Amino acid sequence: MKFYACIKQVPDLAGPMRVKDNELIQDSDRLMLNAYDASAVEEALVITEKHGGDVEVVLVGLEKAKETARKALAMGASKGTMITIDDGLNLDSAGYAEILAAFFKGAEFDVIVCGKQSQDTDAGLTGSMLAHKLQIPYASNAVGLDVDEASGMVIVKRQGDIGQEIIELPAPCLVTCSNDMNDPRIPTLKGIMQSKRKPFDAIDVKTLGLESSDLNSFIKTKVTGYRNTPGRKPGIKMEGEPEDIVKQLVDLLDNEAKVL
Amino acid sequence: MSILCHIAISEGRIKRSSLETLSHARHIAKKNNMEVSAVIIDVKAGNYVPEVKKFGVSKIYTIESPLFEHHINSPLIEALIKVINLEKPKVMTFASTESIKDVLGAVGSRTKAGVIPDVASFDLQNGTIHAQRPIMASKFLADTESNADLVLVSVRSGSYDVQESPGDAEVIKVDFDFDENNIRQKIREIISTSGDKIDLSEAQIVVAAGRGVKDEEGKKLIMELSEVLGAAIGASRSVVETGMFSPSTQIGQTGKVVSPQLYLAVGISGAIQHTSGMVNSRIIVAINKDPEAPIFDIANYGLVGDLYKILPLLIGQIKSAKNK
Repeated sequence: MKFYACIKQVPDLAGPMRVKDNELIQDSDRLMLNAYDASAVEEALVITEKHGGDVEVVLVGLEKAKETARKALAMGASKGTMITIDDGLNLDSAGYAEILAAFFKGAEFDVIVCGKQSQDTDAGLTGSMLAHKLQIPYASNAVGLDVDEASGMVIVKRQGDIGQEIIELPAPCLVTCSNDMNDPRIPTLKGIMQSKRKPFDAIDVKTLGLESSDLNSFIKTKVTGYRNTPGRKPGIKMEGEPEDIVKQLVDLLDNEAKVL
Repeated sequence: MSILCHIAISEGRIKRSSLETLSHARHIAKKNNMEVSAVIIDVKAGNYVPEVKKFGVSKIYTIESPLFEHHINSPLIEALIKVINLEKPKVMTFASTESIKDVLGAVGSRTKAGVIPDVASFDLQNGTIHAQRPIMASKFLADTESNADLVLVSVRSGSYDVQESPGDAEVIKVDFDFDENNIRQKIREIISTSGDKIDLSEAQIVVAAGRGVKDEEGKKLIMELSEVLGAAIGASRSVVETGMFSPSTQIGQTGKVVSPQLYLAVGISGAIQHTSGMVNSRIIVAINKDPEAPIFDIANYGLVGDLYKILPLLIGQIKSAKNK
């Protein structure tokens, strides 16, 4: 089966970051492969190692995102495509989906995998937007993925509201992946060396027939500023007989916090 | 012009977060001189009409079909599109459930809407939606706006209070003749929760164990508590290192970052290495023997005492609170 993994470069969340004048400032240059996308790449590699096939990766981003695409190649993907966009184009999920849809209209694939969301925006929209634009069935928030060799169906275990749903999708389809589905492999030195010889296309978004002016019309939302999440203050500390304080706690959880 | 609110049904009940969102939407609509409508999509959507009528909406759309017995994205998307085309709202709101996360992008793409998912708060001013979204594992809030003709907003649970408001809504039954052959995905099996691994990084409730949980007896209590709450299990580094809890449960700087609605820290002292992974939880409960433990500085509710005495009582009380 032919897999494509859509990946994104994100800031290192563990690195120092702060808000200054409404802007988010990253105090280190560390950029990473979105952890959810790394799980998508890993899962596609595991499946193709088991059933045969091939994994390519595609990434939309600025020139510096190239190293992130290389990382996916070092993990084992066979080919990378990087779609470069102009700096200053503030793509939202709809914008990313539009670019990826333009790319996939000229590609042959069985399964598109991507992270269920990206760590920098936590939006989780691009996958189902892309599936809609390509008119293919999809499943989101996968915690398990496999292919039924006899029927050729893609089997997804997804975490739903009240449990896990095991569903079958015919190819071509799209699956968005949770990071709980696996532990992505760390590229080996051999993998890193090999990645340098693997095919890698860098194309400008314009070659997909999309001008920046078109893209601006697809963008429907914008971020106008950032703030720190408000800090916490100590609340109520209860001491005394366990029976009493437990009763008090359950009452507060039920009626004040409303979390039960 | 109206705000249309999706009412989520789960296991025979209206999701509280839907009513929270509806209550807030009514408030915004009033300010903007707009009406509020609601839509219920379920096997027995009509059953929930009386409850929704208590919330001061002008119209209630119901879409009933056996197809909605389990979540399947394609018919849900079609139903949502159908009601959007009927009502033509300026804003449509949702509770941010897994089912809605599954379809929101596709509905947005179909309707060319602006989509602002998983917000902590939102407002409508002069035709523009302004929303605050927790991002980067809730470290920061992103002020996000959209002035699209239609804006879809999904709201985190616990963001607003539920407030009733009398009214007599017009009920509109919407025909739904969806061809089942158009469903390209098939459900093989549903594995319902308890005992299952709940996605810790986005669980609504987390029960986390620390050094104070000393033995199998303590672990059993943690498991029981998590079961009655439908919670995911987390752990601090110390109990992961002793092998009592698996590495995938570790919360903190070197583990997972979580921001659930409710976080119960059991026998956890509250070292920064741990709290950096959970400080953005909405409600933090701490149970600890040491009244000076730093976890009490960030806890909404702190219980000073022996967890081996407190947990069995807590498990019993939560069971009866849930059954009432």
